[in-house]
Amino acid sequence: MADISVQEPFPISLIANRYLLFDVNIVTYARREHNICGVLIGTIPHLSQQNIFLGIPLELMPEEARLLVEKGHAYIVEDVESHKSGFLEMSREERLAFLQVMDKQGRETALSNKKKAEERSEKALQRKGLAGKAQESSPRVSETAELNTRAYTDADAETSLFDLPSGTASPIFSQNSIALEPYFITPTTSYPPLPIPPTTPTLSLPDVPRTYPLFAHLHSRGYFMTPGLRFGCHYTVYPGDPLRFHSHFLATGADWDEEFNLLDIVGGGRLGTGVKKAYLIGGADTSSKDSRSGGYSDVGDGVRAFSIEWAGL
Amino acid sequence: MAMESPSKALVPAPSALTNLLKSQTPPSSHPAHLHHLALQIQHNLQHQHGWTALRIHTHSPVNHTPLQRPLLSGLPPHRLYTHPDEQAELLKELERRRKAARKSGISADSENVVVPEPEREWVLPTKLNEKWSLGRMAEVFDGVEIAPPSGENNVRDVSEEESGKQGNENKWKQTKRIVLATVDEDSTVVYYIVHDGVVKPRQN
Repeated sequence: MADISVQEPFPISLIANRYLLFDVNIVTYARREHNICGVLIGTIPHLSQQNIFLGIPLELMPEEARLLVEKGHAYIVEDVESHKSGFLEMSREERLAFLQVMDKQGRETALSNKKKAEERSEKALQRKGLAGKAQESSPRVSETAELNTRAYTDADAETSLFDLPSGTASPIFSQNSIALEPYFITPTTSYPPLPIPPTTPTLSLPDVPRTYPLFAHLHSRGYFMTPGLRFGCHYTVYPGDPLRFHSHFLATGADWDEEFNLLDIVGGGRLGTGVKKAYLIGGADTSSKDSRSGGYSDVGDGVRAFSIEWAGL
Repeated sequence: MAMESPSKALVPAPSALTNLLKSQTPPSSHPAHLHHLALQIQHNLQHQHGWTALRIHTHSPVNHTPLQRPLLSGLPPHRLYTHPDEQAELLKELERRRKAARKSGISADSENVVVPEPEREWVLPTKLNEKWSLGRMAEVFDGVEIAPPSGENNVRDVSEEESGKQGNENKWKQTKRIVLATVDEDSTVVYYIVHDGVVKPRQN
C-alpha cells in the first residue's frame, strides 16, 4: 500500500451545498484514518449514464463534514469564492509559471505521441519488409523533434494564450513550428495552479440533520457509516471498512422526546433481522436530569441507543 | 336478518382472555387498561408460547417507585436470545466435545447441539397504535435490572430451581434487554428484543 501523507487539516470544498473531496489521497486518508467513507459521485465523461464505476469527487454527508471539522481534521472552503478570488488575484509571475508548465506538458505529450506513431509505422514497415526505409527516415525525425524542444523552451512566452509584449520570438521557433505542434493541455485541477486555500474560520460549521448526535456517537465507537436510504434508515452502520464487512445496524436517529410509531420499530426490526442486521434507534438525551445513571452511554456524549432484533416468537 | 331475532341465545361464551380480565382487579398503581394489556400479553406468552413463572411487576425493582406501566417477567421454554459471541463459544465447545468423543471411540451422534439454559426475560407490553419516544424507552430500561427477579412470595418450585441455576450469571449478558411485546387490535402479538445500547446482531 502506498504511503500517503496528507497534511491536516485538509480542505473540504463546499460547492452548491455539497461537501466534496477532489484529492484521491485525501479520500483514501479520510477513509483509512478517520473512518469516513463518503460517496464517490464522479462519473466517466464519455459514459455519463453509468453509475457502477464512479470516481472522484467524493461527496461527504454533512454529518461527515461536520465531524471532520469539529475534530480539527479538516476545514471547509467556499470553492466558488476561492476560485474567483484565486484566479482574479493571481500574480503575473504565477500565471506565467503555470502557463510554462502547461506548455511543457503539451510539448512532452506531443513528442511522446509522435514517437509512438514513429514506432508504429516502423513496425508496420518492418512487417512489409521495408525496414531499411524506416531506419533511414527515423533519425531525421527525432532530430527535428529535439530541435523543436529546444526551440520551444526559448519561446515559451510566445506560445501562451495570453497576450504578452512581443519581441521575444526566436527565429528558430518560426522555422520549425510546422514540424511539431505542441498539444494544448486543458488543466484538470485547480490546486495547482491555485495554492491550497487557507483556513477560513468565519465559515460556520456544516448544517447537520438532527440525527447527527447518533452519527457522532457511533463514529466515536469506531463504526463506519454510509447513507441508509437503501434500507430505509438514516445510516447503515459497519463494524469496519464497508469493503471488508457486512453492516451490523440499520440506524435511525431521533430526538429524545420525538414520538415514533411502534410500527416503525416492528418494521425496522423485522427488516433488519431479515438481512442479518439489527435495527438501531438512538439520539441524544436532552432531558435536564442526569439520566446516565442506568444508561448505556460510556462515551459521555449523552447519546443512548437501542438495538432491536426479532425475538423469534 | 334472520340472525337478529334469536341473538340472545347465540351470544358466544366469553373468551378465556375475557374471563381472565374480568376475574382480576387491577392494582391501584396503574390504570386498568395498562393492567389488562399486561394480562393479555401474559396470557399469550403462557398459552401460546409456553412461558412459565410469569409475573407482573408494578413497581421498579431498582428504586421501588411505580413503573411507567406494568412489566412482565417470565421464563421462556427455550433460551430466547443468545449473544453472537456466546453462540461462537458454544460452537467451539461442541467441537471440543465431538473431538473428545471421537478420541474415546464413542460415536457421538447424541451431541449435536449445545443448548444454552433458558433465561428469565423482561417483557414490555405495548399496543401497536401507541406512540413511543427514546425518552420513554430509556425510562423503562432505567427502571429494570439486568436480570429480572425470580418469583417472590408465591414462589413455584420450578422458578426457584431456575433462579438457583442462574445464580452464576451469564457472563455474556452485559447489557439490559427487554422483550417488546406489541399487540394489534386483532390481538396478534409480535415480540422484538430491544437491547439497551449498541449490541451486534445475531448471525442467524
